[in-house]
Amino acid sequence: MNRDLAKTMALAGLGGAAFLCVPLVANSGVVFLAGLVAINIVFALSWNLLFAGAGLLSFGHSMFLAAGAYTMAKFSLSAPEVPFLLTLVLAALSGGVLAWVFGFVALRRASGTYFAILTLAFSALVHIVITKTDALGRADGLVGIRRPEIGVGSLRLSLDGDMYYVFIVLSMTLAALALWCFTHSPTGRLLQAIKQDRLRTSFLGANVRRWQLLAFCVSGVFAALAGAVMAPWSQIVSPEIAHWSMSTMPILYALLGGTSRFWGPALGAILFGMLDYGTRNMLGLADMTSGILLLVVVLAVPGGILGLLLRVGRTREEAKG
Amino acid sequence: MMMDIGLVVFGGLSWAMATFLVAAGLTLIFGILHILNFAHGGFFMVGAYLAWAMIEALGGGVSIWTYIAVALVSGAVVGALGVLVDVTIFRRLRDVEDAYALIATYALLMVCIGAIELIWGLDFRAIMPPEALNSALFIGDLIAPTFTIFIIVCGVVVYVALEVFMARTETGKLVRIVAHDAWMARLLGLDVTRIYLITVVISFALAGLAGGLLVANQGLSPELGGVFLLQAFGVVIVGGMGSIRGAFLAALLLGQIESIGGMLFPNYPGIFYLVALAGLLLIRPQGLLTKGRTEWV
Amino acid sequence: MTDAPILEAKALCKSYGLVQVLHDVELSIAPGESRVVIGPNGAGKTTLFKCLSGEVPSDKGVISLEGREITGLRGWRRVQMGIGRTFQVARIFPEMTARENMTVAVEMRDRLARGTARRLFSLAPAAELRAEVDELMSELDLAAAADRPARILAHGDKKRLELAMSLALRPTLVMLDEPTAGMSPADRADAVAMIARLRDTHGLTLLLTEHDMEVVFGLATRLTVLHQGRIIADGAPADVRADPNVREVYLGHD
Repeated sequence: MNRDLAKTMALAGLGGAAFLCVPLVANSGVVFLAGLVAINIVFALSWNLLFAGAGLLSFGHSMFLAAGAYTMAKFSLSAPEVPFLLTLVLAALSGGVLAWVFGFVALRRASGTYFAILTLAFSALVHIVITKTDALGRADGLVGIRRPEIGVGSLRLSLDGDMYYVFIVLSMTLAALALWCFTHSPTGRLLQAIKQDRLRTSFLGANVRRWQLLAFCVSGVFAALAGAVMAPWSQIVSPEIAHWSMSTMPILYALLGGTSRFWGPALGAILFGMLDYGTRNMLGLADMTSGILLLVVVLAVPGGILGLLLRVGRTREEAKG
Repeated sequence: MMMDIGLVVFGGLSWAMATFLVAAGLTLIFGILHILNFAHGGFFMVGAYLAWAMIEALGGGVSIWTYIAVALVSGAVVGALGVLVDVTIFRRLRDVEDAYALIATYALLMVCIGAIELIWGLDFRAIMPPEALNSALFIGDLIAPTFTIFIIVCGVVVYVALEVFMARTETGKLVRIVAHDAWMARLLGLDVTRIYLITVVISFALAGLAGGLLVANQGLSPELGGVFLLQAFGVVIVGGMGSIRGAFLAALLLGQIESIGGMLFPNYPGIFYLVALAGLLLIRPQGLLTKGRTEWV
Repeated sequence: MTDAPILEAKALCKSYGLVQVLHDVELSIAPGESRVVIGPNGAGKTTLFKCLSGEVPSDKGVISLEGREITGLRGWRRVQMGIGRTFQVARIFPEMTARENMTVAVEMRDRLARGTARRLFSLAPAAELRAEVDELMSELDLAAAADRPARILAHGDKKRLELAMSLALRPTLVMLDEPTAGMSPADRADAVAMIARLRDTHGLTLLLTEHDMEVVFGLATRLTVLHQGRIIADGAPADVRADPNVREVYLGHD
């Protein structure tokens, strides 16, 4: 257990360090993209916490991303005196509250398909409410979000330019580690049990719905955290972030990378970031390639890329030994 | 006041039948194949764009009969695409976990949207309804656009046709048997694969037909499919997954709620059926017409 | 002195659609008893189990556990109050190892031993829980299978693992649905011996359904015969064996 944690910390540290090297070798456009990829990793991990970790399929994860991003943007624009890190916590909690409210309703439906459609419907609701609310900038969104400052007393550090990139990488690495610890905790184990056999778990005395609601809230908190960190990075938050096509992203990353391994979604997010960069100027091609890719993964490579690599690796080893 | 009530009821009916046109094929495929087909919204749009392209090719203003013929051709083309989709994708989804099947149809929806963007681009497109449907009837104080009446009639016709098909025809009977117990049907020597194929083709044809019928008066953009798909999902869930009659009633109910809500809070159109959906699920989680209950543990 | 019953059902009814599966079932299980419910296929044994354990709601009637009414409570609440249960086809977590399966159960026991507020974070030291897991696993002869994925375990191992998980919750009443289904006669005898041993060491009250007569008469202190959803006999094994109603149902008219 502790050795696993040490290994994971080493792996996350290496990954973080690799991300930190990006500004040294690439232009600002690529650095911007790398920041988004780092954020997407946590977004995808939070989705997979539900899917692979608790057996819940969410088609509405964009609503949590939006909750975090809009909370951050609103504070940054209207109450800049609130310390950044406090805002970050509040923004993350907003995702948890949203998840609790919607999960409370949606989890009354036991079956996976119903739950999935309900999350989709809820996120659509959130999207419409945002586009119709003046305080959230309606369809135009909120613009001019400043890069934050952090510090205690007179000791202040302005997170501008590449400094904010460093902050993204560090915070997302910590968030990913926190998600790893949650997945590998007794609570994570219980959620895994629920995924594998609901009925058995309830006959171990577990109130299955309440535990699933907890998983939904934790997932919401981390997705919202990702959104909150994203807002000052893109400096604009538009309703696009709440759109259902945004909910597809973590599904795509996770399935592409492999849902059954903790770091699968992270690999998927990185690969997809590269693919996206390659097809960025071709209208329609992005949706098309994403769709076809996803279909191929589901129909032909259900373990995702990481699952495939591990299998190939194992076969090689067996061939050698 | 009378006019308001008339307006609300009429608006609700219009929402209900437009949504039912999309939901009919969705609930059919769910009832028989137990696949919730996200791509339905995509193929609905393919139908709409096809119809738009045909009408443009015919020079714009078409007669009502040509309009209907164009919608039927769209339905036929999309139905034919259904064969392709069933053979290449749906057949493989039978041994796959529900969640993965759902994600696969979602992926197919993305492919549809991508294809539409590639072929027709992101521009807003619109066409006028046919001449004969471009006026309004005055019923008392109520102004009822004839195109809306046309859509309401279409919805009812499709509903009745489906009910008659399921209840009276030999194929409909087979479909019902497979829906009830596919395993038993296979044991009795029915060609279940063929019945699945027929179901998929009918469902896709309905999607294409709905696209062709609803194309006028809509701003046509790749977004459209998602909007109708969500409304149709609501209807299918409230109606009880797989029930055509349930979907029809749910459409009528949610249509009225949406219409009343839209009247009371005109700033937030398009959300009341979602709120109603959540509310109905709290009261009756298993859907309007479905017997039995949800898991108790 | 007669003890208050551990589990009591009064006028229990259950229908699925138009088919009434249970008709006014009356059942009273005293502490320390080993009650076996027998009856032909389709008599309603499994439905009775589902209603008593809270897997499905009953339509009418009252169920109480140690004098407290539990009729409306869901399965997980009843488990928390002291009912353990196994299934006809052993339900375990297939993608976990046997040890992980046990760990889930033991951690759940530990959670329930604490207040609601502290259930989330504070678990007993891992070493303590691990010792508890090991002890139960060796008691049920599972040590050899501990690190294998549960899905590839032998049939008997799966059954014992499921029983061990139920026992981890420290129940007062354990409900076993066909505990020896699918076993060879030799394994059956072992299973009976083990269940009897566990009953005595843990002070359990048992409620079983069973088909195999060796098992029935090996374990039962009292028998209940269910036929077409009704109880037609209830009493000591020897009395039930001699009961004319039972003879008629099983042997037909003379």
